[in-house]
Amino acid sequence: MALYDGLYNTKDYRRDAQTDYTSSLPNVSDPEATYAAITRQDYNDYINNFRDFEERLLGQTDDQGLINRAREDQKTQNRIAREVQQRNIERYGGAGLSNAQRQQQQRTLQRGGQLAMANTSNNSRIQQREINNALLNELIGIGQGVNQSSLSGLGDASGMAAQRQAAYKNAKAQHHSNMTGLGVAALGMFLGI
Amino acid sequence: MSKPKSSEYKASEQEKALASVSLAEKNYFRQKYLPKLTQLRDRASTEDYEGVATGRAQADTMQALSGRPSLAAARSVDSAADMASAAGAQALQGRVQGLTAQRGDQVNVLKNARGMAADAQSGLSKAARISSTKQLQFAQAKQNRRNANFRAATQLVGQMGENRQENLGLQDAENDQANKGFFSTLLPPQGLGQ
Repeated sequence: MALYDGLYNTKDYRRDAQTDYTSSLPNVSDPEATYAAITRQDYNDYINNFRDFEERLLGQTDDQGLINRAREDQKTQNRIAREVQQRNIERYGGAGLSNAQRQQQQRTLQRGGQLAMANTSNNSRIQQREINNALLNELIGIGQGVNQSSLSGLGDASGMAAQRQAAYKNAKAQHHSNMTGLGVAALGMFLGI
Repeated sequence: MSKPKSSEYKASEQEKALASVSLAEKNYFRQKYLPKLTQLRDRASTEDYEGVATGRAQADTMQALSGRPSLAAARSVDSAADMASAAGAQALQGRVQGLTAQRGDQVNVLKNARGMAADAQSGLSKAARISSTKQLQFAQAKQNRRNANFRAATQLVGQMGENRQENLGLQDAENDQANKGFFSTLLPPQGLGQ
C-alpha cells in the first residue's frame, strides 16, 4: 500500500518499520541552547583545526621553494649525466675517443649543463609565479566569502540591536502616554472637570 | 475565557524528532567526517607530492635516454648534455605538477573548512536572531500587560470622576440619593444603576 494513497496512517507506518533507530537518538530539551552551543563549537573546531593551516597557506603566496628545488634538481641531473657519460666511455674501453674529443665532450656537457641550469631557473620562476598567482586568486575568492559572511553577521547583529532599541523606546513612549492619560483622568476627577 | 496552559506551547512530536535527528546527524558528522577533513589537511601539508611526480619523471627520462647504452651514444659529443637538459626539464615538470596538486588539495581543505566556519557564523547569527526575537516577544507581552493595567486603571479613575460629578450634581439638587463625603462620592449614587 502506498504511503500517500489516503488509506495509510501513522500507526501503519510505524508497524511496517523494521527497526526504530529514532528511539536511540539524543533528546534535545532546549533546541535553542543546543543550536547556539553547536555553532560555537563549530567555530572553535575551525580555529583549533584549521587556523594554523590557513595562516601557513596565506604565507605561501610568495613561495620560492619550487625555484630553489628546481636548481638543485638541475645540479643533480648535470652530475648524473656526467656519470652516465663516464660509465658509457668506460663500458666501451674509451670508445676510441682521442683526448681532444674527450675534452670537447666534457666542455659540451659543462656548457649544456649551465644552459640547462639557466633554462630550468627561468622556467621554474615562471611556473612558481603561475602557481603563486593561482593560489592568490583562490585565497582572494575565499577571503571575499569570509568578508561577506562577517559583514552579514555584523549586519544581523546591528539589525537586532536596532530592533531592540526601537522596541525599548516604543515601550517607554507607551508608558509615558499611559501615565499621562492616568494623571489627566485623576486630575479631572479631583478638579471636577 | 480560559487561562493559557503551558502544555499548549509544548514542542510537537515532529519538532522533537527534527531536533533529535539533526543533533544525531551533526554529532555523526563531527565524529566521522570532520576527521577526514583534518586528515586531508595533514596529507596536503606533509605528503611529498613533488617527490612522487619528480621521481616518476626521472624514471621515464632515464628509461628513454639511457636505457640502451650504445657506442654511438658514448662517442657522441652532446648526448650527455642533452640528457642533463632533458632530465632537468622533466624534473621541473614533475615538481610543477606535484606542487599544483598540493596547492589544489590545500585550497580545497581551506574552502571546506571556511565553508564550515561560515555555516557556524550564520548559525550563530540565526541563534542570536531567535533569541532576540524571543526577548522582544517577551518584552512586548509584558508591555501589553502593562498597557492593559493602565487602561483598566484609567477607566476606573474616569468612572470614579463621573460618579463624583453625578453625586455632586445630586447634592446640589438636594437629592437623597447623593452620596456624601469625598470617598463616597467616588462611588455610583445610591439607588442608581442597581
